Formats: sequence, C-alpha cells, structure tokens
Amino acid sequence: MANDLAWPIAILIAWLAGEYGFRWLRLPRISAYAIVGFILASTQLGVLPETQSSPMLLLANLAFGLILFEAGYRINLRWLRINPWIGVTSLAEATLTFVAVYATATAFGLASSTSLLLAALSMASSPAAIVRVINEQRSTGQVTERLLHLSAMNCVLAVFAFKVIVGLIVFKTSGNIWQAVYSSLVVLSVSIILGALLGVVMPALLRAIGRTSHDSTLAFAISVVFLVVLTHHLKLSPVLATLTFGLVARHRRIVLNASQRGFGALGDLLSVVLFVFIAATLSWQQVVAGLGIGCAILAARQITKIAGLGFFAHISGIAWHKGLLIGIALAPISAFVILMLEQTRYLGVDLVDQLAPLAAAALILEIIGPILTQRALIWSREGPESGEG
Amino acid sequence: MPLNAFKTSQSLSLGVELELQLVSPSDFDLTTASSDLLELLRRKPFPGTVTPEMTESMIEIATDVQTSYEPLLQQLLDIRDVLISAGDRLNVGICGGGTHPFQLWSERRIVSKPRFKGLSALYGYLAKQFTIFGQHVHVGCTSGDEALFLLHALNRYVPHFIALSASSPFVQGNDTLFNSARLNSVFAFPLSGRAPFLLRWEDFEQQYFTKMEHTGVVSSMKDFYWDIRPKPEYGTIELRVCDTPLTVERAAALACYLQALCRYLLERNEPAPIEDDYLVYNYNRFQACRFGLDGSIVHPKSYEQIPLREDILTTVRHLQPYADALGSASALEHIYQLAHEGSDASYLRQEFAERGSTEGMVDAALQRFRYGESMQRSG
Repeated sequence: MANDLAWPIAILIAWLAGEYGFRWLRLPRISAYAIVGFILASTQLGVLPETQSSPMLLLANLAFGLILFEAGYRINLRWLRINPWIGVTSLAEATLTFVAVYATATAFGLASSTSLLLAALSMASSPAAIVRVINEQRSTGQVTERLLHLSAMNCVLAVFAFKVIVGLIVFKTSGNIWQAVYSSLVVLSVSIILGALLGVVMPALLRAIGRTSHDSTLAFAISVVFLVVLTHHLKLSPVLATLTFGLVARHRRIVLNASQRGFGALGDLLSVVLFVFIAATLSWQQVVAGLGIGCAILAARQITKIAGLGFFAHISGIAWHKGLLIGIALAPISAFVILMLEQTRYLGVDLVDQLAPLAAAALILEIIGPILTQRALIWSREGPESGEG
Repeated sequence: MPLNAFKTSQSLSLGVELELQLVSPSDFDLTTASSDLLELLRRKPFPGTVTPEMTESMIEIATDVQTSYEPLLQQLLDIRDVLISAGDRLNVGICGGGTHPFQLWSERRIVSKPRFKGLSALYGYLAKQFTIFGQHVHVGCTSGDEALFLLHALNRYVPHFIALSASSPFVQGNDTLFNSARLNSVFAFPLSGRAPFLLRWEDFEQQYFTKMEHTGVVSSMKDFYWDIRPKPEYGTIELRVCDTPLTVERAAALACYLQALCRYLLERNEPAPIEDDYLVYNYNRFQACRFGLDGSIVHPKSYEQIPLREDILTTVRHLQPYADALGSASALEHIYQLAHEGSDASYLRQEFAERGSTEGMVDAALQRFRYGESMQRSG
C-alpha cells in the first residue's frame, strides 16, 4: 500500500518543488524534479521503491519519446544541407568530446573498454532537458535552433558509437569490428525505418480523414506511445525511432499546433516522472565514489563542447559569443545516458556498476545542466522578455 | 529641436522601405532573429540598407534613391536574394505580409535600443501589437510647398494604396474580415491619421510643428504616425499606408504607381485639394481596409459613390501616358492585373482555405516572397 503511494507522492512533491524553485530562484523546473528524485530514492530517504520497476522505465521512455518526437519535429534537414557547417560543427564537437573524455578516463586508470563507453555516452547532449528548458524559456533564435539541431545530431552519433562499442567490447562476440558495426547498423536502421514508416503512415491517415488542418497532437501522442513500446520490446532504439518519427512527420508538412507544444499537460506530467525517475536511479555511494573522475570527465566534455562550437561559430554564420553560449547550453546529458544504460540492463548487460563514474556526472548534470542551458538562453537574449529583465 | 529645413530632392525620385517578417521554418511563428541576421549580413556589402526594427522578429530594408522602375525592381530583387540566402544559412524564413497571422503579441521581445524601449514603456501593449509590417514609399519633392501640395492632393488616392497592397487579413489566429487589419493597429496611436491641412511649408513649420513641439507632445517628425508625412531631411513625402506586399515585384509596382500618380497630380490636372476633401477621408480609408478592392469610396468633390476597383482601373488609364514617360509601363500593367485578380489578402485567404491552417498560410507567404510572382502554385 505504501509502495502504491510512493510515486504519486514523489511526483506531487517534485511538482511543488519545481514551481516554487522556478518562481523564487528561477531554477529550471526539471532541476528541482531531479533534486527531489535523488533525495527520495531508495538508496537515500527510501521513499521510492528499491527496484526500478519495468512500468516506470517504460513510462520514462514514453516521456523521453514524446520529447524526442518534438525535437525531431523541429529539425530542418534543408537547413543542414544549405549550411553544411552545422553538420561539421556537430561531427567535430562530438569527436573532440569522445577523444577528450576517453583520454581523461584512461588517465584516471579506468579500463579502456569502460573509457570507450564513457566517451561514447559523453558525446550526447540530452534533448529531453534541452527541449524542456527551451519551452520553459519560450526562446527562439540561433542559439535555440542550433542547440536543438546539435543535440539531436550528437545523440544519433552517441547511440551509434555506444552500440558499436557495446557490440565490440562487452559482448566480445568476435574481435571483428565490422561485425559489431554491422549488427549495430541493423539495430539502428530498423529503428530508423520504423520511425520513418510511422512518420509517413500517420500523416497519410490524418489526411484521409481530413484532420490535417486541425490539431494533430493527440494522434501523434498515441503514435509515440505505440512506437516506444514497440521498439522497447523489439530491443531496438526508441531514441532513434521517435526522433526519426518527428523528423519525417515534419517534412510531411503536418502542422502541430504551437499551443500544444511539448504535448501540453500530458508532456508536463510525464516530464516530472522522467526527471524524478532518472535521478532516483542514482545512489549516494555511487556518486561519492565517482565524484573526482566524474567531475574531470564533465570538465573535459564541457570544454571540448564549448571549444568545438566556438571554433566553428563564425564560419557557420553566427557571432563567436553565440557559439560559446551554445557550447555551454549543450551541457545536459542525464536522461539520455540513464535511459541508454537502463535499456542495456534490460537487454541483459549491467553496465551501471562498471560505469560508476557516470553516476556522479549524471547527478551533477541533471541539476546543473538545465541551469547552464537556461543561463545560456537568457544570456543570448532569446526569450520573450529577455528572461529576467 | 526645430524642424530641419526642407532639403531639395530630385522631383519624383523614389525610395522604398519594406518591413519584413522573420519566421521560424519549424512552426512558422515569428522568431528572434534580427540581430543574428544583421550580424551575418554585415560581413558582405548589402545592395541597399538593412536596419533592425521595433521587435527582434522584424527587419527593415531600404533601397537607394531610384528614378525609374527597372533599376528599382532590380535592386529590390537583389536585396531579396541576399536576404533569402542569409536566412537560409540561419534557418530563418523571410516574408512579406502586413501582419503575422497567428503570432501572439505578448511573445514579442522589444529590441534593446533606447528609442524602442522608450516607445514600449509609453505605449504598453500597443508597442508590441505594433509588430506589423508596412511598405513606405518616399517621393522626392523640389520644395516643402510642393511636398505639402502632393501630400494633400494624394488624399483621395490613399484608399487605392491600402486596397492594392492589403496583405493582412488575419490577426492573432483569426480572420478579421479586414483586408488590411494592420492599419487598425496604426490608428490606435494618438498621433496617427492625416497631416493638418496646411499648404505652405512655412506655415507647417511655424504654425503647426513649433506649436506642437511647444506642447511637449512631440519632439520630431518621427512622433507622427500619419498616413503620409513629409520628411524634410530627405526632401520627400512618405506614403505609409501600404502593407508590405508578399513579393518585391509588387512593392516596386506600387511605388511606381505612386510615382506616376504624383507626376499626374503635379501637372495640376485636378482641382486643388481643400480642407473639406477630408470629410470623407476616414470613411474611404475604412472601406479600403475592410473590403479592399471590393470597397466603395465617396468622391471628395462630387460625393459620388464609386467602387474602389473601378476607380483604380480608371486611374490606371489616366496614368498610362505618365507611366510611359517614366518608363514604368510594366508597373502599371502589374497594378492593372492586380486590380483584376485580387490582392495579396485574397491570395492569403485562398491559401488558408486550401491548406487549412494559418501555419500553411505563412508557408505560402514564405514561398511567394522567395520565388516571386512567377511562382506556380504546387498542388
């Protein structure tokens, strides 16, 4: 009975903390959710149940899926074609991050397989936190646009690198890198195809019943739920599938009503669940154990992101300082990383203990990351009333 | 600060200013882009001038002083192409149209310049609601007296320009039933409307402007939001009633229609303007805003009701020799077609009906600005 109440109570407390934190301290709501989630976790106060139940993981994945759909929907492929420097920036910053984090981790004496996995995951910037903060700030402009595109791209790169490395090193199926690349490619391409398929079929169905002109938010929410559950069960990548779904739906010229941005109240509720859940997976012992190396990795990652973005800012068409701000804003990582790891656990490999340094990094960034993104958006003056006036 | 002396300009020289919308290609809402766009444009020479406007979702472009249609059109096309390619690099869509059909004024951010911040503090929501987009046409005058004569002689033709340029049927997501809803936002300002009926520059300067300045209500000509206002430092009058058309071709045609009309009026072909002409002015202006080309106006001298479209077509016929002399026959042809086929406002309504959303309507406006009049509508 007490267990049944644990989650609703946690969500209520997190929501209150989010609202008060936002009003009084201008703290991004999701940072407050994370703090509450971490404190209430089984390993800390013990309010939340110990084992992360599968339904909660699925719910968190749904929340992430909805946000990724929205991120995909806001990607403009035509822009990436016309301004190839955006793509170059993304490749460069992700590669730099990979190299820097790998070097840092091995310097701390971690095994090279662990270092490779850490490096792959560190490439990503979590679109969940980024999209939520952008919507909260109601920001529009170059920093906002590029942030969305870059986080989507470096996530795809990170998923790819991670799958390859898992296939290659952890499973040790064979020493053959091509086989690992091949099997990851199959997982990735099937995920992408599923997302794309739904992205074509859904708009067609909507057109057939003449509902394109109306708000299609509900139809897409249902489709995202379906897609997440399907890819989860087929052990594919929900990240890529939902991202592709959003991307294809956008390019099929389906209009999502701006007032329903972020899937309205449904999106808000699920994001509370998501960010509480993510923080609740972390334990105090893990965080303390990996604090030093976690911080070193964070520093390496943040510096390379800022450097990469700053270096290509001018040539890609924006002022230097805006490039640096995007580098800062790319900080969030947690939702992406934790869900990747939880999914791997679900696939039968427990990387969580092996990647203990990540716990510290994930916790720090789950709280600090959204604040950095929020500050970068305020400093770039892309909010409606310049944020704090 | 006293009014500048009226600078002498070449008679009938032209300058066109367009306020343009900066739109996100993802959700078609206005986007914060002017500072980034200007930063990028500053890197290369620009074929004209480009300046920030009241909110971050708007820029203003201006041509050099031009004397005839072809070079004016060419410069506008060059400006458009440079803007479009800069916008493409930043994922920013650029389009015309007098209003953005669904933007919410509360979402707009005022550009951080002291003048704009001051206006925002004074006018409150009016300043943000002023996220509207107009075309301004300057016509060169040889003297202040000539400027005031033209300004008042044009009074009866102001509805032509409103109806021909109308491109703002929707506001805040809804069909206003107006063709130019933009002008309703202008009328809300206390110093909008028409200039006082004075025909000598000396009188205007001493009897009107100095007195107004003394009241403390105004400090420069910029504080007046009149439909036509003299601009002594340029030596021009500035027609301000036009919505920004969806294409630069139309902007050039409207400017040259005005040029031909001014040439015709300067030959004193019509009875001189009198104060009483303004009795029907506001009514006629309303008809043009509300019904566009389908409106009907009252002739200020004969009090006869005339369908606006018919009045425009008659004027086009009268202006033919003047346009020929100015080398702007194709501009007049454009106006003739426009009067027959309907304005940008009708085009936008039609796109709304076909695409089923205001977002689709903005998409249509983006395509139209990019590809111009020759664009074939895709199925």
